[in-house]
Amino acid sequence: MPETWRRATATADPAGRASTGPSEADATLGTVRESPTETSPFQAYRGSEPPRFVNGAERECAQILDWYGIPWEYEPRSFVLRRDAQGRVTSAFTPDFYLPDQDLYIEVTVMKQSLVTRKNRKLREVRHLYPDVRIKLFYRRDIERLAQRYRLRIAS
Amino acid sequence: MTAAERLRAAGDPIGDVYLTREEIAARVAELGQELAVAYAGLDPLLVAPLKSSAVFLADLSRALDVDHELDVIELAPYGSGRRGGGVRLLKDLDRPIAGRDVLLVEDVVDTGLTLGFLTRSFVERRPATLAAVTLLDRPYRRLVDDIPLGHVGFTVPDELFAGYGLGLEERWRALPDLHLVVADELPAAIDAA
Repeated sequence: MPETWRRATATADPAGRASTGPSEADATLGTVRESPTETSPFQAYRGSEPPRFVNGAERECAQILDWYGIPWEYEPRSFVLRRDAQGRVTSAFTPDFYLPDQDLYIEVTVMKQSLVTRKNRKLREVRHLYPDVRIKLFYRRDIERLAQRYRLRIAS
Repeated sequence: MTAAERLRAAGDPIGDVYLTREEIAARVAELGQELAVAYAGLDPLLVAPLKSSAVFLADLSRALDVDHELDVIELAPYGSGRRGGGVRLLKDLDRPIAGRDVLLVEDVVDTGLTLGFLTRSFVERRPATLAAVTLLDRPYRRLVDDIPLGHVGFTVPDELFAGYGLGLEERWRALPDLHLVVADELPAAIDAA
């Protein structure tokens, strides 16, 4: 049966991985998370710990959501996709944002569209295992479009 | 040489015409008829956020054959003011809307964030009804679904547009047709590294 775990209980991961669970961005980009002290206080953030964004696109998304007063959480839940014979998690997916009022997860990727095959496959797995979960994937192009619209005020 | 051709010759990234002025006028006339039926016997208040909805508001108002009133609001642009300050109104409505039938007139609905904010803000003022009409609907990145979008002019592809009121930093708004913008020639506004 599909299962998820909340951030607060992620240490129960029998694979003994990092307590917050691996994110796609961590695995594929080798990026370094921002220090919590670098993030500004967000008005609409509903998480319990300061968000630690992986890249500027995630931060931009958070700022846009915050600007419009849309409550959001950052990586609150991981979706287990596969376990090995010992019950250890071997594959999981952790969307970047959750909008509780919309009951919607958002995954932001800064990879070029041609390189997101693996992420798309995981997303399909999530949708298959968790059909009631709504997830939208925002590509680099989407974020750039949003930034163009909201910052440069085109076709607002 | 047309205005679009002059801009293009000057290096502006104005692309092909996506909707001609005639196509827009025909659809706006149809929207006016739809809304005249929906608001028959009422006295709706049409409210448009400045500035890009101004041209659509003017044309829609003249196509709407029921008595109605107009008002405009202006939102501070994203990122202006103090960080984390959130949306604020640079110009509010001129009069209360309690008990009124309010129709928000938008140029483009994309994520739904702006319309969602306006909906939340206006509902608190207790209008009799609140609905929205948009000239262009670009639903591919919709984040907010609980918006009262009842009338759509055109569902458009995931492109950027200029003309018919839409512009970039006050340019291109006066183009009478709706043009595609060659987005690759615009600067990426964020560090997406």
